[in-house]
Amino acid sequence: MSNWKLVNVTYLYDGTFNGLLTIVFDSYSHKTLPQKIVPEEEYTQNFLEKTHYIDTNEEKAKRVFEGIHKNICYEALYNSFYAFLSNGDHKEIDILKYLCNGFGIGPKINTMLTISYVFKVINMRKRALSECHKLKGLLRFMEIGENVYYASIHPDNNIIEPLGHHFINRLPSQNFMIHDKNRNICFLYNKKSYQIVDSTNLTIPHITKEEQTYQELWKLFFKTIAIQERKNPRCQMQFMPKKYWQDLIEEP
Amino acid sequence: MELFDKLKILADSAKYDASCSSSGSNRKNTDNGIGNGHVSGICHSWGADGRCISLLKILFTNACIYDCKYCINRSSNSVPRATFTPQEVADLTIHFYKRNYIEGLFLSSAVIKSPDYTMERLVETASILRNEYHFHGYIHCKTIPGCSQELIDKLGLLVDRMSINIELPSNDSLKLLAPQKEKDGILKPMTYISNAIKVNKIDKSRYKKNFVPAGQTTQLMVGASPETDLKILKLSEGMYQSLKLKRVYYSAYVSVNHDKNLPTLEKPPLLRENRLYQADWLLRFYGFQADELLDDSHPNFNTLLDPKCDWALRNLDKFPIEINTANYHTLLRIPGIGVISAKKIITARREFLLDFESLKKLGVVLKRAQYFITCKGKYFYEVHKFNKNFIETNLLYTERKTIPQKKFEQLSIFDTLLPTKEDTIKCLTGSL
Repeated sequence: MSNWKLVNVTYLYDGTFNGLLTIVFDSYSHKTLPQKIVPEEEYTQNFLEKTHYIDTNEEKAKRVFEGIHKNICYEALYNSFYAFLSNGDHKEIDILKYLCNGFGIGPKINTMLTISYVFKVINMRKRALSECHKLKGLLRFMEIGENVYYASIHPDNNIIEPLGHHFINRLPSQNFMIHDKNRNICFLYNKKSYQIVDSTNLTIPHITKEEQTYQELWKLFFKTIAIQERKNPRCQMQFMPKKYWQDLIEEP
Repeated sequence: MELFDKLKILADSAKYDASCSSSGSNRKNTDNGIGNGHVSGICHSWGADGRCISLLKILFTNACIYDCKYCINRSSNSVPRATFTPQEVADLTIHFYKRNYIEGLFLSSAVIKSPDYTMERLVETASILRNEYHFHGYIHCKTIPGCSQELIDKLGLLVDRMSINIELPSNDSLKLLAPQKEKDGILKPMTYISNAIKVNKIDKSRYKKNFVPAGQTTQLMVGASPETDLKILKLSEGMYQSLKLKRVYYSAYVSVNHDKNLPTLEKPPLLRENRLYQADWLLRFYGFQADELLDDSHPNFNTLLDPKCDWALRNLDKFPIEINTANYHTLLRIPGIGVISAKKIITARREFLLDFESLKKLGVVLKRAQYFITCKGKYFYEVHKFNKNFIETNLLYTERKTIPQKKFEQLSIFDTLLPTKEDTIKCLTGSL
């Protein structure tokens, strides 16, 4: 990648993973490296920068997707997808460098941890995955109708989709919705298929009486199970940072 | 009795059980079922004591016929008693699970009427969950010492993990504090379960189902009886090797009863419990042996340093270790380097030779490791500083925040020995 041309342009894209893969395709075929890659929504005009909007092309994205699988490895796909979901700064440019270099080097790229962008991509993946895992435990459903469950979350990373899949496997006979309040999107599941929709104007009906009983039972259990002689609020906070408390039923 | 009261009494009695892990089982969900296992386990909340809550941890009943001196539910204590029905436990589990409060059920029990009678209730509960609700989440069940083998067989096919608590680490303490229990009554079912797991793994066709897929565990109480750390650790090591236990839990004794045979502790011995856990990890994942960590001349752990640092300082002839050439098992012996760091080092050094800077980049914590390693043949400090005195002083200095401080200061030689930056300068200029 040392002979690639650095161009002083900011690439804009639609903010989807396929959009990013299209950029990877274009950069790789023209051997050019942009200054920055920013989703169009988040971009603020700057008269010093030249911008170039790249249209998402499903065909190109598919070829890159398969190319990663074939020429690098499955893990690289996994790394770049979760890094993409993370909230890392300038994640797009690091993923671009990681993938384009990966095409030349092959699966060995994942062991080159001392290269800064490889390390960053792997770290971003780690961050997104660990938050996803944490929320698999900390998410709380409440019943808002006959077999309809609602949960709200405030995650740092955009992990609503992998999180939703976890619950589809776990509770397949339950209608549920997971509401990401930071991004205003909602994961809906109706026992057959799922969908991610915008949820700016979402109002939640009141919880049922039965639901209230179980919430009280859970709070009681939560309070009782701690051993008072071993009280350790610092340890508790380390595992369960305060930012997650707002969506819990119990009061830690 | 209301469900609320029952839950309060029976969760309160169950809280002294340390085990709450939901790992080791990868049970799949079925079409009409609810729940699945997660192989690495999921914690759902953390209580005020900092322990994770991943399972609905309750006793089936606390109306015990035994009178173990250390136990809050001993028959001679006057505490409120309650008993669930199997249906109540199953319903509560399902409703909590649907709301993602828990990962499954941890069902333990006091002995009511007889061991077999109690065990039958536990089997019934597990059976309702698995066969009527088609629940595939995690179930951890206690085995009641002295119950029949047929019941163990039945329960083992329903649950993910089974455990029997040894609690007291020697026969003498058992006689003194739990006179109605016998050593054989505890060890026999443990051996039986461990054999059954072994047979199940080889002979799938006979069972057709997994028998206790997440293995069995046990718990030892620390601080209620006079055993040394060495004795406890030896016992754990023996059980890991012969019974293939998944975990041994250590629980710092909380003074709940007063008895002439029990010590009166102001606070539970948490630091001691912590040291035992650290050593337990060294046994299971780091290839250490109990004899290396402790011996008859010091049978208890150092309160100031963790077991690995302590071992390293006693075996300084094995150090410093060269990061770029040492094998995996040697890397694991360096204080401050764990399984994850060791694996990272092995992967990364295939491409580049590592120095201290690149170790930091990899995310390897050098707080402790820096004193015990060389990178490309270089030591982090001047070479002559590689001696016990320097390393120990510095380690103690970094550890001072994690060691519980006394309210009033007691003078110690280390406090005055710690060199500050000014001291170093004064030394150089000769003004000290």
